[in-house]
Amino acid sequence: MNPRISRLLFSCAVLGWGGVLLYFYGSGRIEHYLAPDFRVFTLAGGLGLALLGGFNLLTAGQSSACGHSHDGDGHSPHEPTEDMHPITVVLMMLIPIAFAVAWTKDEYSSAALARKGLYDAPSGLNASFLGANLTALTLGEIEATHPKTQDGFLEFSLMELFFSSRDPEMKTLLDGLKVETVGRWADEKVYNPKGSRKRLYRMFINCCAADSKAIPIVVEFGKTPPELPENCWVKVAGTIRFLVEDGSIQPVLAAERAAATESPDEENLMRKP
Amino acid sequence: MPESGKMRHFGDWHRLTGGGGQRLLHPMSPDSKQDFALAFLSILFEGAPFIVLGTLISGFIDAYLPAGLMDRFLPKNKFLAVLTAGLLGAIFPVCECAVVPVIRRLVKKGLPMSCALTYMLAAPIVNPVTALSTWKAFQGQGAATMTSSRLLLGFLMAAVVGLIVAKLPLRAVLRANLVASLEPDDGPTLEPDCCEHAEPACCGHHHHDPIHPAPESQKVSRLVVAFRAALKDFTDVAVYFVIGVSITALFNTGIAPGAQWLDHLASNPAGAPAALMGLAFILSLCSTSDAFIAATLDRFSWGAKLAFLTFGPMMDLKLIFLYQTVMRKKFIVALCIGLFLAIGGISIFWQHLIVEAK
Repeated sequence: MNPRISRLLFSCAVLGWGGVLLYFYGSGRIEHYLAPDFRVFTLAGGLGLALLGGFNLLTAGQSSACGHSHDGDGHSPHEPTEDMHPITVVLMMLIPIAFAVAWTKDEYSSAALARKGLYDAPSGLNASFLGANLTALTLGEIEATHPKTQDGFLEFSLMELFFSSRDPEMKTLLDGLKVETVGRWADEKVYNPKGSRKRLYRMFINCCAADSKAIPIVVEFGKTPPELPENCWVKVAGTIRFLVEDGSIQPVLAAERAAATESPDEENLMRKP
Repeated sequence: MPESGKMRHFGDWHRLTGGGGQRLLHPMSPDSKQDFALAFLSILFEGAPFIVLGTLISGFIDAYLPAGLMDRFLPKNKFLAVLTAGLLGAIFPVCECAVVPVIRRLVKKGLPMSCALTYMLAAPIVNPVTALSTWKAFQGQGAATMTSSRLLLGFLMAAVVGLIVAKLPLRAVLRANLVASLEPDDGPTLEPDCCEHAEPACCGHHHHDPIHPAPESQKVSRLVVAFRAALKDFTDVAVYFVIGVSITALFNTGIAPGAQWLDHLASNPAGAPAALMGLAFILSLCSTSDAFIAATLDRFSWGAKLAFLTFGPMMDLKLIFLYQTVMRKKFIVALCIGLFLAIGGISIFWQHLIVEAK
């Protein structure tokens, strides 16, 4: 293939990648994919790709430093890869990313969520997640650091409730406390003999969505749970208990009220940079 | 529909997840597409910026770095040169995605393969960004010991590989086309890499001499050369990166079968490092962020995590594809097996020496 045409094709492919990175960053959808400290790299990468593709597109016909164009001399190492046909390279670069952009819903399916810990007991995970997230050590400090709703529930992050089951001090302090938390609605598939339970979860992202883990708690209604769409955001208030189920300590929120709510500004829980 | 009874082991797990094998048989179900897309894009977003950085650096090295400059930085003694190359990442930090295109250019510029390979294996680990992330991730889990052990083991392994490669002929290590570009008939270092012909004047080879500044038009043209080289490198690397990311995403989301076996191996002294090295190979995580994953693998021993953190940046599924742009397949296979055995063995020994001693 004519080297100039190859350059044009490659430039377009690189611009396509750059466009995807910049679109996801600019639209804010990047928050579903990367932890905050990695997002700026996506912006920089998108700009770098735009620069690389744009510059090569604009100078595709220009002679190089050699004082002549390598076009036609058949051996220039600047020209696109000799390993594969340029069309093959462009298709391999663009088709997977195009399909991924078309297919993504910015979240995992229930099958992938199960694989990523939606039904794991807290004891199956490392409490080091919690290190930077739990600071309160006394009931007074807990009350001072957590806002209280008008009807007397302390607002807790789902992460705190989940990992408190691993911390004897926190578990003792929180057990029986009236709390309110927000998470996504999912069926309880592990232990639900009366059909009165649901799961509430959020995803925790270390670096990117591929390494994310589901952080779930069980919600016990004592009766048939309210009908809410799967994966919708729900605010639940009730009494938190830490029950031993199937040999591990499970945070169970005995719900007094539950209602659909707006998604939080940052839907996923993130590692603190 | 609510289910009764407690979930028990893998039969229930299999049912919950839909079963990896079953999902693979129907890989294009809407759920599979959605999961693949999310994992694929997230890894791509994480890795692509570092590839751009690496290829831009490699392009500018191609256009502006005088041949043999790296040689001049390194000691004449081969042994010391390899050791020095293993520490270059400390002043020139790049992750494993970015380092491959850089060393492709450096080899073409005349950097000895032994030093280039040492730098390529060591730089993703022996660099301040990785050190900081490891130290941060292992807070409360012996952060200082893990960080220093990781850097030391990474450096040692890279240096050993470099010293071995120094004894091998280039053709046993490099791809044929890369060897051809280094053949003696056009000199071991082409300057600049843009010219593969014998008329030095037409290419202005002497304009690389920093004492004689190039005319403005040549400066602009040199920029074109740099960006064209970067474009070539990026497309070379991007194709393999896409393949690696695709496979990783399939494993990561359970579309590809096989993941639960890892848990069985966690308590096995030899099986645990092997399992985590296998996991590192499949996950293809970036060395700047893999410590945050390793720190959460609390069923595994400290030594197994060290193996994960050392083997992963040197050899993983994505890198296999990237390495093929530089090295022969046979050499890659030998390197993979050698690193696996050596890192696994040392990690087990280290576990006994350091942790058990405590």
